Amino acid sequence: MIEANDVSVFIGKQCIVTGVDFKAPPGALAAVVGPNGSGKTTFLRSLTGELPYSGHIAINGAEVSALKPWRLAAMRAVLPQATNLSFPFTVREVVGLGLSSGRSGALAGEGARLPERALARVDLDGFAGRFYQELSGGEQQRVQLARVLCQVWAPVLEGVPRYLFLDEPVSSLDIKHQLIIMRIARDFAARGGGVIAILHDLNLTAMFADVVFVMHRGRLAAAGTPTEVLRDDIIARVFECDMKVGILPRGDMPFVLPQSAA
Amino acid sequence: MVAGDRSGRARLAFAVLMVLLAVTAAASLGYGAADASAWRVLAGLFAPGGENGGLQALRQNIIIYEIRLPRVVLGILIGAALAVSGAVMQGLFRNPLADPGIVGVSAGAGLGAISVIVLGTTSLAPLVQWLGIYALPFAAFLGGLATTLLLYRVATRRGQTSIATMLLAGIALGAMAGAFSGVLVFWADDRQLRDLTFWGLGSLAGATWTKIAAAGPIIVAVLLTAPFLARGLNAMALGEATANHLGIPVQRLKNVAIVAVAAATGASVAVSGGIGFVGIVVPHLLRLLIGPDNRYLLPCSALLGASLLLIADAVSRTIVTPAELPIGIVTAAVGGPFFLWILLRRRGVIDL
Repeated sequence: MIEANDVSVFIGKQCIVTGVDFKAPPGALAAVVGPNGSGKTTFLRSLTGELPYSGHIAINGAEVSALKPWRLAAMRAVLPQATNLSFPFTVREVVGLGLSSGRSGALAGEGARLPERALARVDLDGFAGRFYQELSGGEQQRVQLARVLCQVWAPVLEGVPRYLFLDEPVSSLDIKHQLIIMRIARDFAARGGGVIAILHDLNLTAMFADVVFVMHRGRLAAAGTPTEVLRDDIIARVFECDMKVGILPRGDMPFVLPQSAA
Repeated sequence: MVAGDRSGRARLAFAVLMVLLAVTAAASLGYGAADASAWRVLAGLFAPGGENGGLQALRQNIIIYEIRLPRVVLGILIGAALAVSGAVMQGLFRNPLADPGIVGVSAGAGLGAISVIVLGTTSLAPLVQWLGIYALPFAAFLGGLATTLLLYRVATRRGQTSIATMLLAGIALGAMAGAFSGVLVFWADDRQLRDLTFWGLGSLAGATWTKIAAAGPIIVAVLLTAPFLARGLNAMALGEATANHLGIPVQRLKNVAIVAVAAATGASVAVSGGIGFVGIVVPHLLRLLIGPDNRYLLPCSALLGASLLLIADAVSRTIVTPAELPIGIVTAAVGGPFFLWILLRRRGVIDL
């Protein structure tokens, strides 16, 4: 369980996140949505232990700020928005860096081939020998996801659930790969891990999320299931534009359609 | 071989570099201005009580043990120290152009060393008395440490290092260290001036067992520490935040890396002066060959750095025989153009 109580985050003197309560259980995909600059990434970075915060954040019951980096790394992996690499590593070498925490949780037989298996999962079969810096933005993003998957290959290790933090994991992907990546996240949750993802696409959110947290100006504007949260009034207020939320008959899934700006 | 996995090639390179170092070291021992055969001395060592060459053998022994061997040992230590501190610094700054010589760390270490050379008999006399032969490397270490810390503070913001800021700050710090050094040189008397000039050009010529005793332990300590930094430096290639996500205690890694760079640079500068460009040429060549994985890059850098410095020393001893060119001139003459070549090759990648 990832649990945040009354969390505020300051960057410099500016309060970016104010009094957020948050709960992401293992076995579920929690989406964080909100307009640009609403504090989503800053909030995520406090959850991962990267930024100092006031209030409480617990990962599996332990206060995040008190955990050593290697203890945290055994419980959660983080996919940042963008990663630029300073040296010419091959794709396989980059993915292999995910193993450096030494707690992938892979079965004895599959450990050595883990980077290849992770690459296959993100649809990058045959990319192992390429240089990371020569790939397109979307391909690089998938390589990073493969690295992150290597770090927490087993969603549950020794009875302890582990977590994936994904900051806009599909932002530069085409539709096919958006779906592939979201299914990987779903699968991770289905096997007992927890996923916390910042998403911009409200329809993907409706399709894949179990719980949705809507952030607005550093505060939590709404929280609940997609059907509870993705409503005309909430969307219009938070994103400041006219939206029409419909319901797809198949499975009662909400979908969001922007109306004309005028 | 697994695609994209260069660890096999790296292990092979390590073995080849071991052989290269053994060969260059043997050649340096066996070859020199005087006609002394290292082979015969070694043979004499293993067959004591046999043929006794008298004075001739004694002379050969002195040449090998007191002149050539210390020079080879010092060359290996300095070459390894310079190359490894270059590689560690590049990993720390996430930047292939970082090198203690280029970004002013050597200049800072030099300022420390010059202070001891010039002020060692007056205001710094207590330090010299207290530390003995370690006073010079210690002062150079402090100078290097101060420069590295300042540079890191200036060039790094929110875990990202700006290449342009780092190079420019390095120029500024180097100039400042140079100015202070200049003041000290201005105060120096004639004998100190002569010492300073030869020291500053960089040379292995004055290699003695005393110098090795002063710098060797520090360098060996750094070389033994470096492999423990490899995993962390690899993760740092993805940025400080991601390194932290991967479980690396980033702040501790940075502290250890900075101290290691300053110590290795300080010790090298103290005993051999300004030998430049080894720290940038060696890791760069190796990255082309075996990739940037520090688990292999650091040990291979130590070996190749040692070999290259021995080769450069051989060139410096022979190119103007019977005189000797300071080795710093040789490494700069080769390393300068090499540095330009890296800059040109990467001009598109590095946005200055």
